[in-house]
Amino acid sequence: MESERLYDVPEDRHYDGTRHLWVRRDAGSGLVRVGIDAIGLEALGELAYIQLKAAGTAVARGESLGTLEAAKMTSNIVAPVSGTIVGRNDAVLQDPLAVNDDPYERGWLVELDPTRWDEEAAELVSGEAIAGWVAAEVERFRAEAPTD
Amino acid sequence: MSWRLITDDGAAAADGLAGDESLADRVGRGTSPPTLRLYTYRPHVALIGRFQDAAHELDLATCRRHGIGVNRRPTGGGAILMGPDQLGVALALRARGLPGRARELMARFSDGLVRGLSGLGIAASFRGKNDLAVGGRKIAGLGIHRSASGGLLFHASLLVDLDVALMARVLRTPFEKTSAELAAVAAGLDTVRNILGEKVALTDVRARVAAGFAESFDVGLEPGELTGAERAARDTLAREKYRTEAWVFQRTEVPDADGAAVLTTPGGRLDVRVALAGRMIKAVHVHGDFFEREEAVADLEGRLRWHASNRPAVAATVREWARLHADGTLAPDSLTQTILSAVRRARATPVDGPYGCFVSPGREREAVGG
Repeated sequence: MESERLYDVPEDRHYDGTRHLWVRRDAGSGLVRVGIDAIGLEALGELAYIQLKAAGTAVARGESLGTLEAAKMTSNIVAPVSGTIVGRNDAVLQDPLAVNDDPYERGWLVELDPTRWDEEAAELVSGEAIAGWVAAEVERFRAEAPTD
Repeated sequence: MSWRLITDDGAAAADGLAGDESLADRVGRGTSPPTLRLYTYRPHVALIGRFQDAAHELDLATCRRHGIGVNRRPTGGGAILMGPDQLGVALALRARGLPGRARELMARFSDGLVRGLSGLGIAASFRGKNDLAVGGRKIAGLGIHRSASGGLLFHASLLVDLDVALMARVLRTPFEKTSAELAAVAAGLDTVRNILGEKVALTDVRARVAAGFAESFDVGLEPGELTGAERAARDTLAREKYRTEAWVFQRTEVPDADGAAVLTTPGGRLDVRVALAGRMIKAVHVHGDFFEREEAVADLEGRLRWHASNRPAVAATVREWARLHADGTLAPDSLTQTILSAVRRARATPVDGPYGCFVSPGREREAVGG
């Protein structure tokens, strides 16, 4: 049985509860940064490659921001909110493991100028709901883990 | 519950891959049923992994000369050669209800193949993160693509048979393609016909694999074909993506590198070569004059594919391998030390690093003292 794991899930941002992406809005500029949370990275493993769409690309919530590969599993990075890509983290394109090393700061993926923030943020996990969501996800992963 | 079963042969590269990806997308959206496709490609096509560089991985001049189609899979991993003797598996399901973690998901999907091979009398097992092996020798490569729509595509290439010499001509390799080197490549893999004999028909293997998936997922299989809408989606994706040079020849920003190290140990001379993609080990090759079963060495090489290159991760994997192969002579600490020396040298000298899915980096021509 896998031992209990503790995940670092900061409460200063919102989360896509299904796809395990975090979203943090800068109060001054209104721009949001998007990255992968610790539970999502635990599920994926070490990232080998990342490809991101170009700055200037408009994406709707649920559309692909890019693609990543970890352990031969490739996955679309699905936009947690709608907006236009205004910045990409070029450092993680060259060194994807930087995302695993520091998912919430140096490992951010893209910066978006959100177009429907207020209504879409309400559908993300945030604040007091984070603890319960994390507990449920940990339990789900524990149930999946093989028993030796 | 039942899935649709599609069987077809002689697929062109773009059509085959576009069909698989568009199916996964449609299954995720709920506009197509769960589908298991068991198929072969026309002779031959060379398929690189999602983020590989075609010019690095393939001898494109040889491909052109022999009419070998080239394309890029939506799934990850190394380059493969596909044709009438390699069974392609494409399973498109909705992600909901399946494991969320990559390794458990890969193991879950691979169980269908394991059961199918078991029906043929072959005891295969899931190895590392993404290989299926028989006695430590790789018999199938596995990959998964998760679509934005919530669909999952499980890809596998099962070696019913393999022309190792042709594969070595098509895939770029860093070693001389001598008979000895080809034998070393062949020692790391196995095929259904190598195990069971030349008379095994691909259609029989296909039937067993279908039964294996049905048993593993407790579903019925209803033979079917693509609908008109599915064919249209496939053709659009093939035209807009898989037949474009922008897709086939795209480049990644992660630098490739390779390096080698040699260490003389009480168990013998240890010669290790590694290929890196950034800080990840793409492939490792271990050879020398030590006494170790070929299958055990192949098993180690398989476990270290697409593996983190830091000391704790490498040491843990080598220790686990040594625990399972306790009859060998290679000391885990020496092995770890030599691998990490090769990794350090690779980082110091980035170069092209082409290694296919079934090929490990080969014998070092100018070994550097370890």
